[in-house]
Amino acid sequence: MVQSLVSGVLTGSLYAMIGVGLTVVFGVMRIINLAHGELVMLGMYGAFWGLTLWKLDPFVSILLWTPLMFLVGMLVYRFLLQAIIPGGELNTLLYTAGLSLLIANLALFVWTGDYRTIKLPYAMLPMRPFGIAVPIPLAIAFGLAILITGALYFFLTRTDLGRAIRATSQNPEAAALMGVAVDRISMITFGLGSALAGAAGVLLAPSLYLYPTVGEILISKCFVIVVLGGLGSVSGAIAGGVLLGLVESLGAVYVSVAYKDTIGFVIFLLVLLFRPSGLLGVAKS
Amino acid sequence: MSLLSVHDLSKDFGGLHAVSHLSFSVEGGEILGLIGPNGAGKTTVFNLITGFTSPTAGEIGLNGTRLVGLKPHAITQRGVARTFQIVKPFRKLSVRENVTLAAFMRLPARRDAEAEATRVLDQVGLSAKVESAAADLTLAEQKRLEIARALATRPHLLLLDEPMGGLNPTEVEDASALVMRIRDAGITVVLVEHVMRAIMRISDRVVVIHHGEKIADGSPDQVVRNPEVIAAYLGERVG
Amino acid sequence: MRRAVAAGTIGVVLAIPFLTTNQFLVHLGITVLMWTVLGTAWNLLGGYAGQVSFGHATFFGVGAYTMMILYLKLGLAPWYGMVLGGIVGALVSLPIGLICFRLRGPYFSLATLAVAEIVRLVALNWEALTSGPVGLLITTLPQVSVGSRSVNWESKVPFYYLVAILAVGAMLATYGFSRSRLGAYLLAIREDEDTAESIGIDTVRAKVTTLAFSAFLAGVAGGFYGMYFRYVDPDAVFPIALSVEMVFIAVVGGLATVAGPIIGAIFLVTVSELFRERFLVGHLIFYGLCMMLAIRYLPEGIWGGIRRAFTTYVAAKRS
Repeated sequence: MVQSLVSGVLTGSLYAMIGVGLTVVFGVMRIINLAHGELVMLGMYGAFWGLTLWKLDPFVSILLWTPLMFLVGMLVYRFLLQAIIPGGELNTLLYTAGLSLLIANLALFVWTGDYRTIKLPYAMLPMRPFGIAVPIPLAIAFGLAILITGALYFFLTRTDLGRAIRATSQNPEAAALMGVAVDRISMITFGLGSALAGAAGVLLAPSLYLYPTVGEILISKCFVIVVLGGLGSVSGAIAGGVLLGLVESLGAVYVSVAYKDTIGFVIFLLVLLFRPSGLLGVAKS
Repeated sequence: MSLLSVHDLSKDFGGLHAVSHLSFSVEGGEILGLIGPNGAGKTTVFNLITGFTSPTAGEIGLNGTRLVGLKPHAITQRGVARTFQIVKPFRKLSVRENVTLAAFMRLPARRDAEAEATRVLDQVGLSAKVESAAADLTLAEQKRLEIARALATRPHLLLLDEPMGGLNPTEVEDASALVMRIRDAGITVVLVEHVMRAIMRISDRVVVIHHGEKIADGSPDQVVRNPEVIAAYLGERVG
Repeated sequence: MRRAVAAGTIGVVLAIPFLTTNQFLVHLGITVLMWTVLGTAWNLLGGYAGQVSFGHATFFGVGAYTMMILYLKLGLAPWYGMVLGGIVGALVSLPIGLICFRLRGPYFSLATLAVAEIVRLVALNWEALTSGPVGLLITTLPQVSVGSRSVNWESKVPFYYLVAILAVGAMLATYGFSRSRLGAYLLAIREDEDTAESIGIDTVRAKVTTLAFSAFLAGVAGGFYGMYFRYVDPDAVFPIALSVEMVFIAVVGGLATVAGPIIGAIFLVTVSELFRERFLVGHLIFYGLCMMLAIRYLPEGIWGGIRRAFTTYVAAKRS
């Protein structure tokens, strides 16, 4: 039982990081980025190629990939999304659906659909604190995820830029009137969301099978998290991520391995119907 | 029996009492003005009557039948139509299509609905613009389109939410005349307005709301001299 | 004038099997027509009503499985099973609609995605009913005669005609739909749902009814799929990718138009098949790219763009 809880929390923290990236973007721009899963996938492959080609440990190469993904995110916003957003929420949703398909299949084309794994020499055996098996890469990932999320929290609450982002998230018009360059903030926020996704991907890579269409499953889980926690709420996404991790972990043990993915979706539907604002946040338009 | 009766109506949004124990009635064939300082709760009253939000407490009756709990389309089907403070035309559709859609409720066949739409658009004076896209109309024309759309549902009771807002004096005159023509055709009108001159001139009776409560109910002359009403408006300006 | 074009097109479509013996082309035609039915089905809800569903594969899959199960376990002929597949699809859409239509815009889309995934997972795991990941297989189709000749199920031609009839029927239904009161109501709902309610439109009933029609068409297409490909498994008929492709075909072809889906299907399927010939994988790159380009530059889709160009041309000639 404790084993399940621990696994759940560890995985959940990584889900949370992915969810935070998505929710932050929604909060500021009111767009649901369906390509978010692909950004995680790119991070995962970044870790893989970093190790395979340059012998870089993923937990080191994360320092390279995170800023790179930040840049990629900003470019995607500036040159692709910025023109689409005025067309409305649904158009943007469809556009990101197209983008998602494009990135996933380009990856499929270039890197083939073969399943890849990352094998780290120090990660062969799990640690066993108090008799609970904890895979080392997951533990390190958990630690770094907490660090990164903590840094994000600090950034959002203590820096001027962070506050500008939160202001825009609450009320874009008021923020604009107060001199906030909303387009620039949106671009930075999208970069931030992408960086978080990419970083989560790098951290997840040693613990999951890599294949180009993994984004599909990840984005589905991401929705569950983000809706559970309330679209736009960072703390909600964190809570939602950990909760999903726990639900899946416990569900696999106590309900059935087969239906464990279903549980997440059923909860998702229930939350959407009965508490659309999630545990915190905004929803029905 | 009154056409519309609102009894002890209350609506709270969190801690805010938007409407508080409000009671008034609307008699058939009259033009009732609903006025009050900004934020007094007038649009909320309309939203409550038309089913867009549900009351925290109280009753709303139309000819004796309960309106509370019905969905907006059902209330429209019972003969209550409204316009919106910020006009909401179907922008990409033509003026005629906008009104035809409303006429469909009583006339399911397209030909009949379109004929009715043409008739109503003539009534409000938009015949020249039937083919234009709704988005291409001036504000005054869009306000008339709103009214035409509401009229096409053949209401007994028409709720107009600031139909003269943003109009110049000539347009206000035209709108006032239109409202009176509508009443003369047999439709009861409740009118929310800030343009005092107009509403005082055309209303048979006026109800004043302040902080969600009724503070006066009488003829325009009576209401204008009511000290509480004066305080409410002056108080707003000074404070 | 438009009717002549439509009739002409239908004539060409029906004549194709006589114009070529190339089985690959006939197969391509069948695929295009099947996707036309799917695109048309989605278009009713997504194009006219503006409710973007990412879960339409649910109805396709339900139709396919209904047909398969009724044939393999009860011996009901596939063509009846196909129609029943549509009906079951429509029935299934009722609770789904009642749940999902409480939500608006992107939240509705996400909910349909969740429902589709739940159904897929149930189909994957409820082995007693669906044989799970193993899937269901038809080895022989029943003997039947049209007129005096017995139908040769080994040839692609009877399938071509079957799906062509479905496609033409779907498009005619869309045409009738678009001119009906319900069709007009849907456009209002798409523009502004609250205002639509205020003029007496029962928006929930309109959406649920439209979804039922849409699900019926998708279910019938599913039944056809089972007959033609003879093998059905959860990942073939319930995946998110299938739902998304339906969206693409309707969007790229032209939302809320009768001809949009067939144009979209021709365009996307043809190019992706050619792509697949040369490169094997990655044809979906093309789908993604086209979707992005369409939303950015041609939001009314290819057909919408053609129509606009045509009216501009006509207007220019007049002046």
